[in-house]
Amino acid sequence: MDSKEIEKLLEKYWNCETSLEEEKQLRDYFQGDVPSSLNETAHLFRYFQTQREESVDAAFDSEVKQKINSGPAGKSVRLWANVARIAAGLAVVVAAGYFIHLEVQKANPNMEDTYSDPRMALEETKKALMMISNSFNKAHQQAGKVKMFNEAEEKIQGTNKKDEQTKIQL
Amino acid sequence: MNREMFETRVLPTKNKLFRFALGLLGSREDAQDVVQEVLVKVWNGREQMGAIENMEAWCMRITKNLSLDRLRSKQRKVTDSMGEGFDLQTNHPTPFERTEIGESMQRITELMASLPDKQRQVMHLRDIEGYSYQEICEILELDMSQVKVNLFRARNFVRERLVKINAYGL
Repeated sequence: MDSKEIEKLLEKYWNCETSLEEEKQLRDYFQGDVPSSLNETAHLFRYFQTQREESVDAAFDSEVKQKINSGPAGKSVRLWANVARIAAGLAVVVAAGYFIHLEVQKANPNMEDTYSDPRMALEETKKALMMISNSFNKAHQQAGKVKMFNEAEEKIQGTNKKDEQTKIQL
Repeated sequence: MNREMFETRVLPTKNKLFRFALGLLGSREDAQDVVQEVLVKVWNGREQMGAIENMEAWCMRITKNLSLDRLRSKQRKVTDSMGEGFDLQTNHPTPFERTEIGESMQRITELMASLPDKQRQVMHLRDIEGYSYQEICEILELDMSQVKVNLFRARNFVRERLVKINAYGL
């Protein structure tokens, strides 16, 4: 390639109009001897070339492979890990349920049926209902007293209002 | 994705990922750590990787994001430890490296480093790694016009500086 062609190509390069192929031609050209006017430009293209030769240390690949081997497990191992997690969760729930059941039984030992004869059971139920009924009646009587107080209060308020009205009329 | 696909399609991108991370972080060690993290991420998420069209561009994007995260957390740490004294460590090469690389190459390195971040990233991806504009859009999450403007500005800046160096040795 003659120097005129190179000058043209360089002009295109500076204006960002060169293709990747043309840029490679320039790099190749500047690897050889060049006119002194292009010395500094040659240094630039040689700099690009030397930079491209920069590489990682020799031990790099083995370090990466080692990290990959000791890295997170593959798909099947992860699947099993998830299954194990779910199973452990279920086991905890079942165990907790069992212990709660035991505790409830301890706290209420008379929860089981105590009467085998239906008649006796009916009598006992009647007794229990009567007891509740008596309690309700007692409560009702007490509430009656409160009602009396309310009525008295209303009467008093009523007479007060009448007094005020007569005062206004006077 | 199986192991063979990972080793033939993903692992070989390590040097491109490394150079990109190195450009962002400025430390070989950090850049290698980030690339390892990216590769392990790809492997661990290999079951969802089928939907990704351009795996390499996707890996480059993750590299950029993780590098920037690391940079941010480092900057926080530096700010946090301000009271304990400044960290004077810089990424400038040692005198030995200076002579080894050569003065002119060093000038180009400094010139590239002085570019704004976006421009430097676009120029790196195009001129060093040889990505198409479309791929650069995907990697940097920019639209086409932003990529072209950044590349144009970067090349123009470099060109002007090279002209000055040629003319005045600056």
